[in-house]
Amino acid sequence: MSASVLTPAETSTGVPAGAGRPPRFNWSRARETSANQLFLVPVALVFVVLLIVPLTQTFYWSFTDFTGYSADVKWVGLSNYHKVLTDPSMLAGLGFTLAFTIGTAVLITACAIPLAVVLNKKFFARNFVRSVFFFPAIPSIAILGLVWGYILSPLGSGVLNSVLNSLFHAGPYPWLSDATLARLSVIVVAVWGGAGWHAMLYLAYLQSIPADYYEVATIDGASARQQFFHITLPLLTPAIVISNFLLMTGGLKVFDLPFTLTKGGPGYSTYTITQSIITSGVAQGRYGLASALAALFTFAVALVAVAQLWVSRRIERRVL
Amino acid sequence: MKQRRSPITSVVMIGLAGLVGVPLYYIVVNTLKTQEEMTRSPLALPTHLFLDNYQRIFETVPLGRSFLNTLIVTVAALVVQLLVGSTAAYAMAMRASRFNRIFGALLLLGFIVPGQSTLIPLYRMLVGAELVDTLRGLVVIYTGGAIFCYFLIQAYISRLPFEIIEAARIDGAGPFQIYWRIVLPLIRPILVTVGIFQTMGIWNDFITPNVFLSSPEKSTLVLQVYRSVGEFSTDWPSFMTMSVLVLIPMVVFFVLTQRHIVSGLLAGSVKS
Repeated sequence: MSASVLTPAETSTGVPAGAGRPPRFNWSRARETSANQLFLVPVALVFVVLLIVPLTQTFYWSFTDFTGYSADVKWVGLSNYHKVLTDPSMLAGLGFTLAFTIGTAVLITACAIPLAVVLNKKFFARNFVRSVFFFPAIPSIAILGLVWGYILSPLGSGVLNSVLNSLFHAGPYPWLSDATLARLSVIVVAVWGGAGWHAMLYLAYLQSIPADYYEVATIDGASARQQFFHITLPLLTPAIVISNFLLMTGGLKVFDLPFTLTKGGPGYSTYTITQSIITSGVAQGRYGLASALAALFTFAVALVAVAQLWVSRRIERRVL
Repeated sequence: MKQRRSPITSVVMIGLAGLVGVPLYYIVVNTLKTQEEMTRSPLALPTHLFLDNYQRIFETVPLGRSFLNTLIVTVAALVVQLLVGSTAAYAMAMRASRFNRIFGALLLLGFIVPGQSTLIPLYRMLVGAELVDTLRGLVVIYTGGAIFCYFLIQAYISRLPFEIIEAARIDGAGPFQIYWRIVLPLIRPILVTVGIFQTMGIWNDFITPNVFLSSPEKSTLVLQVYRSVGEFSTDWPSFMTMSVLVLIPMVVFFVLTQRHIVSGLLAGSVKS
C-alpha cells in the first residue's frame, strides 16, 4: 500500500524485487499469508519462552553474583568462570563427564560394529538375540541404574558379590565404593545399555550394502578380514559419524546413570557436569556459578554439534 | 553374501545374549521367591508360585497413582509437542520467505542447546508462575521438545507431493482446512514415528521430574522408584518387584511399536 506513494527512484532502493509492481494489493493473498504465518506463532512462543529467554538469563547470570534475590545483583565479570575452573567438585564433574564421554564412545563403537556384523548373519534364534541386545534401550536409564546399583552393591549381599563368593569364594569387591572401580562400573553399565542400540543403527546401514560387493570380493580371493576392512568399514563411515555424534552429545549430557548408580560418589569420583549444575543452581542457589558452568557446557555441546555437521558434510562429499 | 547358518555363531551369540540378559533374568526370577529361597539359589527358577512380593508392593507403594501421573503428563505433552511441531512445519512448507528461512535456521538452536543450559532459569520461571511441583509445569517444560518434532516433521513434509496442497488451495480451501484435512492425515506416518520416540523420552525421563516435582503424590513412575529405593534400603525383593512392575508398561509399548522403533531409529538418526 505504501508503495503507491513512492517515486520510481525510491522503489529501486531497498524494496525487494517484485514489490515495485503496480500497487494492486491482493487481499485474499495477504489474508492467506497472514493466516499461514499464524501457524508459526506457537513454535515462536516455545522458542522465545523456553529457549531464548532462559538461555539469555543463563549467560547473563554467569557474569553476576546472583543468588536468587534480584535486589542485589552485582556484575562480577569472569570470576564465576574462574571459580568453575578451580572448584574441586566442578572440576571433578568436568573430568568424569569427559572420561565417561570418551570411554563410552570408544567402547560402544568397538562393541557395536562387530556385534552388528554378526547380527547381520543368519543364525538360529537371531531375532531373539537381537531383541535381548536391544532391550536395555527401552526402559528408563534411571531405573536400570538403580537395578545395577543393587547388582553391584559393594556389600557382601550384592548380587555380583554373592555370585562371585559362591562360585569362587572371592570378594566382596567394592564395585561402587572405590573411586576407580566406581568410574569403571558406571562406564561398563553404560556400554551394556548402549551397545545393542548402536548395533541396531549399524545393522541398518549394513543391510543397505549391496551383497554383490562381497560376492565380487570373494571371487577375487579377498579374505573375510580383508572384506571387513576394505568394504564393510569404509561403507559404515556415515554410521560411525552419526553414532559417535549421538554418543558424544549424550555423554556430555549424562546424568541419570551415574546419579542413580552412585549418586556421583564415592566423593566426587563419578560426579557429572549436569549434577554440578543442578546441585549448585537449584539446591544451593549459587546461580552465578551454576550459570557459568552451564554456559561453558553449552559451548562444548555446540562445538561437538558443529564439528559433527562439518565432518558429515565432508564425508558425504567423499562417499557420494 | 554367504547365507549359511553357522551353529558356532548361534552358540556364541546365544551365550553372549545370555550374559547381557542375565541381570534382567535374575531380577524377574527372584521377585517370585521368598528372601530365603533367593539367597539359597539365586539363579534357579522359582519352585512354586510366590506372589507375596507383588502383593506387598501394591499395598505399600502408590504405583497406580504414579502410573496415572506419568500417563497424563506423557499424553498431554505429546499432543502439545506434535501440534506445535506440525503447525510450524506446515507454515514453513507453505511459505519459504526469507524471514521464515532465517527463523527456521534459528530454530536449530533448539536442536543444539542442551536442556541443562536452560534448567536453572526455567526452574525460576516455573517458581514464579507457581507451576513448580505441578504436572502442568512438567508439561510446559516438555513443550520445548516441539522444536525437535518440528525438524523431523518438516523434513517429511518437504518430501510430500506439493500438488495435493496446491489443488486444495485452488479448490478454495483455507490454510486451516488444508492443515487439518489434508496435511495432518498425510503426515501421519512421521507423527507416529516422532510420537513413539517422544513417548519413550517423556515416559522414561528422570531429570525433569526429579528437579521439578517434590510432592510424593505427584511423582511419575521413574521418580517413584527412585524415591522408594531409599525406603527399602536392603529390602531387595521389594525393590526388584517394583522395578519389574515399572518396566512392564514400557516393554508392552515396545512390543507393540517395535517395527516403528527400528525403522524410525534409522530415519531419525539419518536426519539428525
